[in-house]
Amino acid sequence: MRNFGYDEDKRGGSLSDFRIWGRILRYSIHHWLALAGAVTLSLFITGGTLTLPTLLQQGIDGFITAGNLEDTARLAGLTRTSLWYGLLVLLVFATTFVQTVLLEWIGQSIMHRIRQDLFTHILRLDLQFFSTHPTGRLVTRLTNDIQNMHEMFTSVMVTLFNELVRMLGILILLYLMNVKLALLLTIFVPISALVTTLFARLARACFRAIRSQLVLLNNFLQEAITGMAILQLFSREEKSRREFEDLSRGYLERTLSQIRLFGTFMPITEFMSSLATAMILWYGGGEILQSRLSLGELVAFISYMRLFFQPLRELSQKYSIVQSAMASAERIFQLLDTASRIADPARPLAKPATVRGELHFDRIRFGYNPQTPVIHDLSLTLRPGQAVALVGTTGSGKTTLVNLLLRFYEAQSGTITIDGLDISHLALADLRSMVGVVLQDVLILQDSLLANIVMNSGRSRKDVESILSRTGMNRFVRRLPHGLDTMIGEGGHELSSGEKQLLAFARVLCRDPAVLVLDEATAAIDTESENILEEALDDSFRGRTSLVIAHRLSTIRRADHIIAMQHGRIVQQGSHDELMATGGYYADLVAMDRSNGNGEDTASSRLFGP
Amino acid sequence: MPPRALFVLPLSVHTPPSDASADTSPKRASLPELIDLLRPSFGRYRWQLVGGFVALIIVDFLQLVIPRVLKHGVDGLADSSISHASLLGLAALIVAIAIAVAGLRFVWRYLIIGFSRLLEQNLRNRIFSHLLRMDAPFFEKHTPGDLMAHSSNDLAAVQMACGMGMVAAADALVMSLATIAFMLHIHVQLTLLALLPMPFLAWFTRSLSGRLHHRFNTVQEQFSLLTEFSRSTVVSIRLIKAYTMELFQTDRFDRLGRRYVRSNLGVAYIQGLITPIATLAGNLGMLIILLVGGRLVIAGTLTMGDFVAFISYLAMLVWPMMAIGWVANIVQRGLTSLNRIHHLLGCRATLPDIADNGEPPLDHPSFSLRGLHFAYAPGLSPALVDIDLKIGPGIHGITGRTGSGKSTICRLLARLYPVADGQLFFGGRDVNALPLSYVRNHIAYVGQEPVLFSDTIAANIALGRPEATEQEIIAAAASAAIDEEIRELPDGYASLIGERGVKLSGGQRQRLALARALLCDRPVLVIDDGLSAVDVATEHEVFAGLRQRFAGKTVLIVSNRIKMLSLTDRIIVLDEGRIACTGGHEELLAASSLYRSMYEKQMRPQAEEAL
Ligand SMILES: Nc1ncnc2c1ncn2[C@@H]1O[C@H](COP(=O)(O)OP(=O)(O)OP(=O)(O)O)[C@@H](O)[C@H]1O
Ligand SMILES: Nc1ncnc2c1ncn2[C@@H]1O[C@H](COP(=O)(O)OP(=O)(O)OP(=O)(O)O)[C@@H](O)[C@H]1O
Ligand SMILES: [Mg+2]
Ligand SMILES: [Mg+2]
Repeated sequence: MRNFGYDEDKRGGSLSDFRIWGRILRYSIHHWLALAGAVTLSLFITGGTLTLPTLLQQGIDGFITAGNLEDTARLAGLTRTSLWYGLLVLLVFATTFVQTVLLEWIGQSIMHRIRQDLFTHILRLDLQFFSTHPTGRLVTRLTNDIQNMHEMFTSVMVTLFNELVRMLGILILLYLMNVKLALLLTIFVPISALVTTLFARLARACFRAIRSQLVLLNNFLQEAITGMAILQLFSREEKSRREFEDLSRGYLERTLSQIRLFGTFMPITEFMSSLATAMILWYGGGEILQSRLSLGELVAFISYMRLFFQPLRELSQKYSIVQSAMASAERIFQLLDTASRIADPARPLAKPATVRGELHFDRIRFGYNPQTPVIHDLSLTLRPGQAVALVGTTGSGKTTLVNLLLRFYEAQSGTITIDGLDISHLALADLRSMVGVVLQDVLILQDSLLANIVMNSGRSRKDVESILSRTGMNRFVRRLPHGLDTMIGEGGHELSSGEKQLLAFARVLCRDPAVLVLDEATAAIDTESENILEEALDDSFRGRTSLVIAHRLSTIRRADHIIAMQHGRIVQQGSHDELMATGGYYADLVAMDRSNGNGEDTASSRLFGP
Repeated sequence: MPPRALFVLPLSVHTPPSDASADTSPKRASLPELIDLLRPSFGRYRWQLVGGFVALIIVDFLQLVIPRVLKHGVDGLADSSISHASLLGLAALIVAIAIAVAGLRFVWRYLIIGFSRLLEQNLRNRIFSHLLRMDAPFFEKHTPGDLMAHSSNDLAAVQMACGMGMVAAADALVMSLATIAFMLHIHVQLTLLALLPMPFLAWFTRSLSGRLHHRFNTVQEQFSLLTEFSRSTVVSIRLIKAYTMELFQTDRFDRLGRRYVRSNLGVAYIQGLITPIATLAGNLGMLIILLVGGRLVIAGTLTMGDFVAFISYLAMLVWPMMAIGWVANIVQRGLTSLNRIHHLLGCRATLPDIADNGEPPLDHPSFSLRGLHFAYAPGLSPALVDIDLKIGPGIHGITGRTGSGKSTICRLLARLYPVADGQLFFGGRDVNALPLSYVRNHIAYVGQEPVLFSDTIAANIALGRPEATEQEIIAAAASAAIDEEIRELPDGYASLIGERGVKLSGGQRQRLALARALLCDRPVLVIDDGLSAVDVATEHEVFAGLRQRFAGKTVLIVSNRIKMLSLTDRIIVLDEGRIACTGGHEELLAASSLYRSMYEKQMRPQAEEAL
């Protein structure tokens, strides 16, 4: 089966049940009072349900069959007992209602807490993690896996306790009745413990297999959904359907093997109950024949013994829920235990009050995979207020430099400093708030346009409107059905690529970064809009350090300093005029860009070699 | 400095767009409609089901036999008419029955629960095939998170109802019918009295289940929102980190989560009533028997033995009653989910669905747009207005301001959105009369934002032609000027590129998408600004290659780079959805102010001196 090259959960190894339970309990502790309440209610319900037959018994023995009483007294007594009976029935009903709601509340609150913790944790993980873990898997953890655990809190935790208490009580009762028979029955306790442990191990493996297949399925689905137009345009429907059906069949097979496992183990308790009955009948009957036991005792023993197996059956049924939940819990806790490779320093340096914006890359060496470096011993300085442009062949490592500056990744050697402060000594939030960046791929959140621009910058609607008019964006906002309040992102209004880039610009204009980084920020924007944007930038960020990455050479014309990169190295740097004068890579690019010819000019032949 | 106060804006956490919200709360379909959805599976596996239920009923029956055997032994012991040997025989009989019960339990579980899994798989595959037939407007309305929730949560609910739900229902039905028959045998009036609370139970459950349906719906919707929010956050992780929005997002997630908790509690309120109400009804029956039956005994019209037997039968009814409460719940949940699935499967693509008749492809296809008018949705301002255009062999460039409708034209040609009749013609015929795949098979398409799949590079290039040889793949990559870079990767063409190609640079992703289109070797090539993240030199190289390769064919290139446009045969300038101008480079320099200003900024060396 295809695994899309992701490491399928090898990192964490498997957690022991003990540890998982420990952590679940730790989460439950916040709700111990409510949990104790639920357990009490549950004991009350059990007690109430067991009292009802006794009341009935009392009604029959005390009044219905009591021939020595007067008929009127018998009738009155019967009515009184019935009243009590009715009252208890209503009470049990009410208690069950309260307990159901209470348990749901506890379960949901705990799940909410775990979900929040997991979400917070995932957001803290490094980008390397995200590039190796498919979205579908993380989403499954956050939603389905947590949902799966929830069952455990509502139906299992309390039942577990309740049933164990009941089983223990009955066992004691049985011992009081007849030690020898009870001893015979006790044989089944270790046997069922053994069976259950074996079952647990197998069931867990089964659920694990099911869940990982589900993740594959969800991943495939999510990719297919987001890329459906491409699949259709490339006539991939048939093939995708087959691939999906293969995955789906894999899932079916795993669930079927789970059914087989459960089909084998679930009837075992029932079988043991019958076996015990047979043994007691045979052994107890023998004892009676030898007059060492009375018939009454045997009958009473058998009926209580059935009660003993009832909680056991209940427990083994809940066991499937437990195992499924444990498989999910295991995955969730493993994810929570995955440490981020990039974290805040233990004692971060204070963020300087005013940032001049001096940027220095010092002998940086980096590769996404350490064996294949992408950046080779690169050094680079941006003086405060300098506008630097970065050009270079595609894949030469320009975006990678931005990734390193934002500490999305950590360089294998070398340091990056802002105003002389090593960025790895700064708090991540401080660092990232100093650098305003427009990323190469514009990402849209599912929200209104206004919220997408403001995000967490705290700007008011007025501010945004003035930014929009300065950037010439109001023309496009006016066309939207609800203006600034139009919902965009998945399920909302679709923007054109250029409009998305304009949006990304508005985002950065809402902020006040010391250093501005634009990574291909205007690639999809027409020149006229670009001119307007440049002016707006000039207005807002005059005198700030800026790094502009662009392929369209007209975009970088205003730069004080131009850096040309190839294959992770700086091949040339200087002002436009200097570079034009010395010739070489940059001059060739410019010549090629301006030539009106048909590509046979000398510049291109020089760029691509003879 | 702008104020740094966080969260001052009352942000709308997910008010879904108005048109979508109408959609997420599907109308309740009639029961036969829903059952129609399940019919194929039920029909196909009917014998499996019959076998399962027979096993289930035999198990029920055998379970009633064991107490009889026991009674036989006890009776024998009571009058000392039994020997050691026959005691052993009885014990052996019990064990034998127990073995049969265990075996049959395995059988029904495998057959019936297995059936529910088969049904689930069948529905899942159906949903997927359905999605494969949906068009862009559909996917704009339904978020991936929502669709994924359908295939996980909703299917699970349906599976549960058709598996354990059905088993419990059958079990409860058999048990209660048998018990009621025994009770009727003893005393008819008393039975009717004991069953008095039942209609009340039925009415109560029915009236609550309507509300339950509604609340389940809310829960599923909230779950979809939660799924979509997680998904879009994970996808946008770079943005969130770069803008230090972690806290901000966590806060929004928290609000969504709280809403989810609340709506689950809303369900629990009703569930907390429905589940114990069955027990309540059973117990009330018991109360009536105690009160009325007791009087009958005292009055001497009912024997004590019958009374006790009656009570023990009624006690046997309590479990099936409880099961009914549970089943009602599960079935309600299943129906709610089935309804959502029904609604999904009922969505129709807006594009005409004409079966492919195997017509041979055209060698020199051409498009003509006649007075084409297009809006993405009714009520939205039109994206294209009155477009008259002929796109035949040759290289056509399209340019224009952001949002002027360039991509929209490309999408319409590729038949991703519907067009009105008589406005778009392919090879002289109205596209609405042609199968979608017929038109699409002529077009190699490079979108503005490359869509790649988490697979190997080779598999991504070969997307449209899985049978392509290695040489062909390499040749396509070379034409897209990416062959060398691929070879430099540690695993070459077998390298995995991660989801959406995250392990590649922006320009590499674009060229990969281009290579994918080139491999298809179709007569029309549409490049929607597909080289914007590529440096001038590489762009030039690619373009030179294209010109050779596509000589005599149709190429449509959207671009904002004058250099690129000047090399095309004809340039179309769009402005606010209209054609502002068409013509060659020189013509446009004279005729179009938009084009001229582009030229001035990008081409004139003096421009920078002027600044
Ligand atoms: N997440 C990643 N994992 C592994 N390799 C990566 C990753 N991101 C980029 N690369 C590789 O690193 C190299 C440099 O990529 P980078 O994105 O820095 O290029 P770039 O200069 O920005 O190119 P472009 O102009 O096309 O955007 C490329 O060869 C790319 O394949
Ligand atoms: N799926 C959609 N639903 C609704 N409106 C859309 C959709 N896609 C695009 N639009 C709107 O239609 C108009 C034209 O969009 P289109 O994508 O064709 O522009 P474009 O010319 O390609 O722009 P760009 O240069 O930015 O790529 C824009 O105003 C855009 O907001
Ligand atoms: Mg880049
Ligand atoms: Mg576009």
